[in-house]
Amino acid sequence: MAEVHVIGQIMGATGFSESSLFCKWGVHTGAAWKLLSGIREGQTQVDTPQVGDMAYWSHPIDLHFATKGLQGWPRLHLQVWSQDSFGRCQLAGYGFCHVPSSPGTHQLACHTWRPLGSWREQLARAFVGGGPQLLHGDTIYSGADRYRLHTAAGGTVHLEIGLLLRHFDRYGVEC
Amino acid sequence: MNPKEEKVKIITEEFIENDEDANVGKRKKNSKVQRQPRKKQPPTTGPDKMMLEESHLGNQQELVQDEPQTRLLSVTARRGPRSLPPIPSASRTGFAEFSMRERMREKLQAARSKAESALLQEIPTPRPQRLRSPTVKELETEFGTESGKEVGSTQQEDDTQSYARVKFHVSARKIKSKPQVPPGFPSAEEAYNFFTFTFDPEPEEAEEKPKHGDGTHQEEEEGEEEPPTEEGANRMDEEELLHGKDAEDFLLGLDHTADEFLAVRPAHYESVHVRLQREKEMLFIPSRLTVPTYKKLPENVQPRFLEDEGLYIGERPEVARTNQNIMENRLLTQESGRRWFGDDGRILALPNPIKPFPSRPPVFMQEQSIKAELETLYKKAVKYVHRSQHMIGSGDPAGNFQLDIDISGLIFTHHPCFSREHVLAAKLAQLYDQYLARHQRNKAKFLTDKLQALRNAVQTGLNPEKPHQSLDTIQKTINEYKSEIRQTRKLRDAEQERDRTLLKTIIKVWKEMKSLREFQRFTNTPLKLVLRKEKVDQKTDEEAYEAEIQAEISELLEEHTEEYEQKMEEYRTSYQQWKAWKKAQRAKKKKKKQATEEHPEEETEEPYPEEDPVKPSPPEPTDRAAVEQQVRERAAQSRRRPGEPTLLPELSLAGSVTPNDQCPRAEVWRREDVKRRSVYLKVLFNNKEVSRTVSRQLGTDFRVHFGQIFNLQIFNWPESLTLQVYETVGHSSPTLLAEVFLPIPETTIVTGRAPIEEVEFSSNQHVTLDHEGVGSGVPFSFEADGSNQLILMTSGKVSHSVAWAIGENGIPLIPPLSQQNIGFRSALKRADAISSIGTSGVTDMKKLAKWAAESKLDPNDPNNAPLMQLISVATSGESYVPDFFRLEQLQQEFNFVSDEELNRSKRFRLLHLRSQQVPEFRNYKQIPVYDREIMEKVFQDYEKRLRDRNVIETKDHIDTHRAVVAKYLQQVRESVINRFLIAKQHFLLADLVVEEEVPNISILGLNLFKLAEQKRPLRPRRKGRKKVTAQNLSDGDIRLLVNIIRAYDLPVRKPTASKFQQPSRSSRTFREKHAASPDTRSPTHSADYPLGQVLVRPFVEVSFQRTICHTTTAEGPNPSWNEELELPFRAPNGDYSTASLQSVKDVVFINIFDEVLYDVLEDDRERGNGIHTRIERHWLGCVKIPFSTIYFQARIDGTFKIDIPPVLLGYSKEQNMIIERDFDSVRSLSEGSYITLFITIEPQLVPGESVREKFDSQEDEKLLQATEKFQAECALKFPKRQCLATVIDISGKTVFITRYLKPLNPPQELLNIYPNNPQATAELVARYVSLIPFLPDTVSFAGLCDLWSTSDQFLDLLAGDEEEHAVLLCNYFLFLGKKAWLVMGNAIPEGPTAYVLTWEKSHYLIWNPCSGNFYGQFDTFCPLKNVGCLIGPDNIWFNIQQYDSPLRINFDVTKHKLWKSFFSRSLPYPGLSSVQPEELIYQNTDKAAAAELQDRIEKILKEKIMDWRPRHLTRWNRYCTSTLRHFLPLLESSQGEDIEDDHRAELLKQLGDYRFSGFPLHMPYSEVKPLIDAVYSTGVHNIDVPNVEFALAVYIHPYPKNVLSVWIYVASLIRNR
Repeated sequence: MAEVHVIGQIMGATGFSESSLFCKWGVHTGAAWKLLSGIREGQTQVDTPQVGDMAYWSHPIDLHFATKGLQGWPRLHLQVWSQDSFGRCQLAGYGFCHVPSSPGTHQLACHTWRPLGSWREQLARAFVGGGPQLLHGDTIYSGADRYRLHTAAGGTVHLEIGLLLRHFDRYGVEC
Repeated sequence: MNPKEEKVKIITEEFIENDEDANVGKRKKNSKVQRQPRKKQPPTTGPDKMMLEESHLGNQQELVQDEPQTRLLSVTARRGPRSLPPIPSASRTGFAEFSMRERMREKLQAARSKAESALLQEIPTPRPQRLRSPTVKELETEFGTESGKEVGSTQQEDDTQSYARVKFHVSARKIKSKPQVPPGFPSAEEAYNFFTFTFDPEPEEAEEKPKHGDGTHQEEEEGEEEPPTEEGANRMDEEELLHGKDAEDFLLGLDHTADEFLAVRPAHYESVHVRLQREKEMLFIPSRLTVPTYKKLPENVQPRFLEDEGLYIGERPEVARTNQNIMENRLLTQESGRRWFGDDGRILALPNPIKPFPSRPPVFMQEQSIKAELETLYKKAVKYVHRSQHMIGSGDPAGNFQLDIDISGLIFTHHPCFSREHVLAAKLAQLYDQYLARHQRNKAKFLTDKLQALRNAVQTGLNPEKPHQSLDTIQKTINEYKSEIRQTRKLRDAEQERDRTLLKTIIKVWKEMKSLREFQRFTNTPLKLVLRKEKVDQKTDEEAYEAEIQAEISELLEEHTEEYEQKMEEYRTSYQQWKAWKKAQRAKKKKKKQATEEHPEEETEEPYPEEDPVKPSPPEPTDRAAVEQQVRERAAQSRRRPGEPTLLPELSLAGSVTPNDQCPRAEVWRREDVKRRSVYLKVLFNNKEVSRTVSRQLGTDFRVHFGQIFNLQIFNWPESLTLQVYETVGHSSPTLLAEVFLPIPETTIVTGRAPIEEVEFSSNQHVTLDHEGVGSGVPFSFEADGSNQLILMTSGKVSHSVAWAIGENGIPLIPPLSQQNIGFRSALKRADAISSIGTSGVTDMKKLAKWAAESKLDPNDPNNAPLMQLISVATSGESYVPDFFRLEQLQQEFNFVSDEELNRSKRFRLLHLRSQQVPEFRNYKQIPVYDREIMEKVFQDYEKRLRDRNVIETKDHIDTHRAVVAKYLQQVRESVINRFLIAKQHFLLADLVVEEEVPNISILGLNLFKLAEQKRPLRPRRKGRKKVTAQNLSDGDIRLLVNIIRAYDLPVRKPTASKFQQPSRSSRTFREKHAASPDTRSPTHSADYPLGQVLVRPFVEVSFQRTICHTTTAEGPNPSWNEELELPFRAPNGDYSTASLQSVKDVVFINIFDEVLYDVLEDDRERGNGIHTRIERHWLGCVKIPFSTIYFQARIDGTFKIDIPPVLLGYSKEQNMIIERDFDSVRSLSEGSYITLFITIEPQLVPGESVREKFDSQEDEKLLQATEKFQAECALKFPKRQCLATVIDISGKTVFITRYLKPLNPPQELLNIYPNNPQATAELVARYVSLIPFLPDTVSFAGLCDLWSTSDQFLDLLAGDEEEHAVLLCNYFLFLGKKAWLVMGNAIPEGPTAYVLTWEKSHYLIWNPCSGNFYGQFDTFCPLKNVGCLIGPDNIWFNIQQYDSPLRINFDVTKHKLWKSFFSRSLPYPGLSSVQPEELIYQNTDKAAAAELQDRIEKILKEKIMDWRPRHLTRWNRYCTSTLRHFLPLLESSQGEDIEDDHRAELLKQLGDYRFSGFPLHMPYSEVKPLIDAVYSTGVHNIDVPNVEFALAVYIHPYPKNVLSVWIYVASLIRNR
């Protein structure tokens, strides 16, 4: 009955070619995990960086899990979207990273990618916006046969996550 | 690296530069090495080790010499003597050392010779020189040294001289570093040698050195071996001999130019023959020829083929024949090679492990196919539509599915319009169809063939061709065959007979039809039957016939003989038995005879046993002739006679129908009738009509062709698919003939593959027609005399096909099997056909198992394994079909704790419940860290609530209807709350971002202007209080401030002496009674008060959340307290959020009491000494204000009418007040007592905002826009006035408000009471409405919105707030013919509310629907304080007058300047239909139930009162109670007015010497709790006079629709002495 507190924030994103960005995020866990409190998923505001390259969201994440096993350690999946000047939203990148497993504060950089699509779609994306999106969002974190997917690299999402673990030592897990 | 080493290194480098230096270095090193043994002296080196070292060395030398040139032996020979120098005297080497060297040398020698001899042995044939080096290597390995390394090094030496040099350096350095040099300096000798000596170059040694890195021992050995050479070098006699050569050698060793190191050799070649020969010796090449089987098996064993024996052996892996042969041959030569072979003489092999399909899916190009889950979809950049995001229940279906229904046509097999001929024709057609079907199947032929085959089998089986099979099995199979033959024959005979009878019937019907046609002289049907004869060859036919018969006979005979034999067997045994018995009998008889001779008397008794076995008769042998006779008879019956032509009936439509003009009249009518009829089909999907075919006329042949295909786009899984056949006659409305239920197609049936199927239908309608048509459901006959009647029902067939459509990409549009498990099953289905057995159609496991058993599936075949497993699982009883796949394997194994344990954790549970916002835990602040710190009782309430959720609790509600209603209300509440919770999460920018308004110029200017304003410090001004948001509040922060200012017109005590007055009991009219009241009062009211006290000494007690505060006592009927009471407020569960505060149901009770002092002195004599008085308090009345009102109003300020019981014993109204009053008739309506209050909450709370969620609506879009516009306009003008145009109904839809208003009938019972007095009826109706319990929406729906229920819903629920009451009342008034409107406005204490306005002949009346009171327009005590809008059944009028107080406005809505109407000339009233029902239906309430409820309430209340008086004895005065009980119905009938005096008189008469105080309470009934609260708040139980007695009576008057009026009479009695 170990417990994990995940407290942190999605700081922001760098390296995206688009400017007005927001991020949809979610935490996926295995079946052994039980969310005691907190919100599993959410969406940040749209940030348009005025100075510098980084879009800051500073979006809080506060989750409290109870677990009966190590399998399915929580992982964060992120979708970065950009909003253009017409208020339309389009995908800028998918990404995922595991929540660190050692207690303490961690700075994470989550690199993102987005599906490339056919040349026609790329062309369309360049001119009219939009773009190919995954039909099944769980492909982001379940590494099924992603090798068939052609992707382009997006930017990096920066996270700062603090972790509190409890009772793991009781079950022989050192941390 | 120590300094020494460093030095050495430098030296060695110099050494490379010139020889001299090198020699010096060498010397030095060697001298050092030389010293080594002296110090260490390792004498204990074992001989074997020595040997090893020696051999090593030897090898070394060999190699070295071997490589450059082939003079192996010569060099070693030369070396031998050199290593044996005479021992110098100066040498410090001891003898031991010498002897050891000797030994080593010997050994070396021995090893060398041995190696040489081995070499010689190894290569007996002359061989090229070159070959030697490998053999040398081999030799080395034999010696156990590490060969590879040395060989490598030698080779390298061979390759590059320079490398050797480097190597030399390295090894030299190593050697130097290793010896233990004493710290300090070299010895004197060394030093001397170093500087004086010229050292001999030592090439051999140099070449040897690289090898010394192997170990220190080696080095030591080397060192031991070396000294002689050095010593020798010291001595000059040997020097001459060696010097030149050694020096030369050394030079050569370093110089590349030396020829000796290079040798040009021919390319090494080994001739093929030699090689082959050699290989032949070493290698074994198995033959490729097939090995005969006998070789592979043990002697005298026949190969055994398991497969032939029926065992599954699996498919062998494919191996080329030659490879197999090679393998077999090889195995055979091996020892015990035979064990590799199986019984069948083949190599043992597992079944082919290769899967027939590649396990790794081929990689496709990206365009071609991407797996479904990886599919991407190009999405346009689109703005979010927020509204749809939050729709409820928008569970998007995975796609739309399509069902194609093809209805090709309809054929009537019977129709009322059938003529007799048609009936026959239909029959004929049916028979013909049957015939065709049978013909097609031709079962008889099939069975005949089968019979033939079986006979053949028996024939062959009897032939003893296969000797190896046991006789038993043959016999068995033959027997089986025979029984099968018998069965088949029977079947065939039956089939043939059926065929024949069918043919006969066809012919018979056809004949009948022909005769009918002749009889009626016209034909109706084009049917024509032609019988074709097929000639057969008489002879062959006869032969076949005869053969068949003979075969049958023989078989039968065989059978019979078999039977006969059996019987004979039986007979024999039984005969034996009989014989034995007979014998015994005879013996007995004999004995008896003897006995009888002796005793003749006893002869009479003949013991005849009962079971005297009869003599068995032998069975008769079968008679061949009889059998033949039998067979022939049967054949004649069922079979075609030989030579008789085969008859083939052919039905054609070639006949001509008699035209109309040649038909009789009745027939013409019939035909015309047929023409008038048309048929169409409706398609019903899940019992909803989805489409219908076109209406087609019925043809003369009663066939209808539709040929239509309906594509049903469906979302739900189809549950039923129905076709309804409708028939229209002429222009009349269609009648439903029949319903046809179509089966839902299997998921495998898709369009294009579905066959056309026919479904029969029939209808049970009775039709009699007046023409030739036979009708249906009525008897008719073909015979002239009417015998042999037939009754035919309309019936027919629909030909159709139903299939799933195929989408454009070839995917069938089939919905997943059920909505819950969409994912897995379909995925599974795709994966494997067999594994999907359990999931889709094949669900009958037993059938499957049976099939598997019958088809003799090999259970061992792995191909069938899943099937077999499934069957075994399914048939073994447990219905556990593993149709899942485990996502997280080994999860269980690695779990820390089990699920149960995790769920048991109280801490987690608490955390979870808190985050779920479960009401009980929503505001749990801190959760303990350890489980043990959490009490189990924390969950008790919650668990109880969960348990009780589905149990209708009758305890609290007493009658079940209300319990059901409460439950229903709870459900509605929950669903509405959920809806709002979702709506609440939909934020606008303004909700999240607060932007301070930038002050514009006008505001700035105004503020500037204010600066110049005159200061008026003495003028008081109200300051706005700061509002507090709810989050940061805790218990005790909020207080309720109740300011009680004054009261008017309180009742005053009445002298007890008034018993002599008997007021007249004249019935007064509605108008009179108020005016008349003063006259009844006694003029001598202030005659005698007890103890001469004042009229009344009232005080006010405020109770809220069980906290009680009271004011001081004032005096007189118009007291002025002006006191502020402060009551703490606690939110439920400590939750101070807006939603929680809104749902606070607590009520502020403001009770007015009279404080009465009684003298308790027993004795008048003590009066001078002390005062003994008892204070009693008598309840006068109360005001109830719900907290929610205070919360929403923020403050309540005004004068309220005190709710005073209709009868207040011992009190009466103060007369002077009434006399002072102006006797305006309208004014006097508001007679009563009043209290002025100011209530507020400190600090002020922010009331929750209503949700501006737009609900979906069925209203016209235009109308909705108009309402928005109207409301916006109104809000612009008068933002504070309430304007309502649309409301939300109970299902959450927006409804236009006028739809609620419609005349509705009040209960007839009420109308009957005062048939001639509309005013009284109106009052009665208002009272009825007010008796429906009040339940504010803000409480039930957490203040989120107002839901309006329609009047019937309201009456069903029996709970609602002002709007529902007002709507119902208004509807009643409309029904009564009054002009009535709904008034939306503000009232005290309710706040925004709805009243009803009626227009009486000359004035307006304002009705409070919740209390049933009415007020004149100009009544100052009217609680309605301002009017926002009026709503009529067809329009809305918004108040645009300057004032909104009812006193000051004009209610004439026709004045457009005063009232802005919604529907006007520009937007005319569209005639909206009402949402109300046509009529309200009232059930009479069960009187018995009411009486029972009455008893129960009385009991409960009595128990409660006793509970509240724990320290006193509670006595009940039965006599008084019965009097009260008798009195309550009177109160109800008079509606609680004006019977006080009668009542008092009666009471006094009966209970003369009691001092009596009490009053009746009147309430609508909803639950018991409010009743208890009301009784509690009166404080009757607080009297603690010892001899007090109580009386309590309850009366419930039932009104229609379960509306109950409850009267509770509580009284306390004190006996007067």
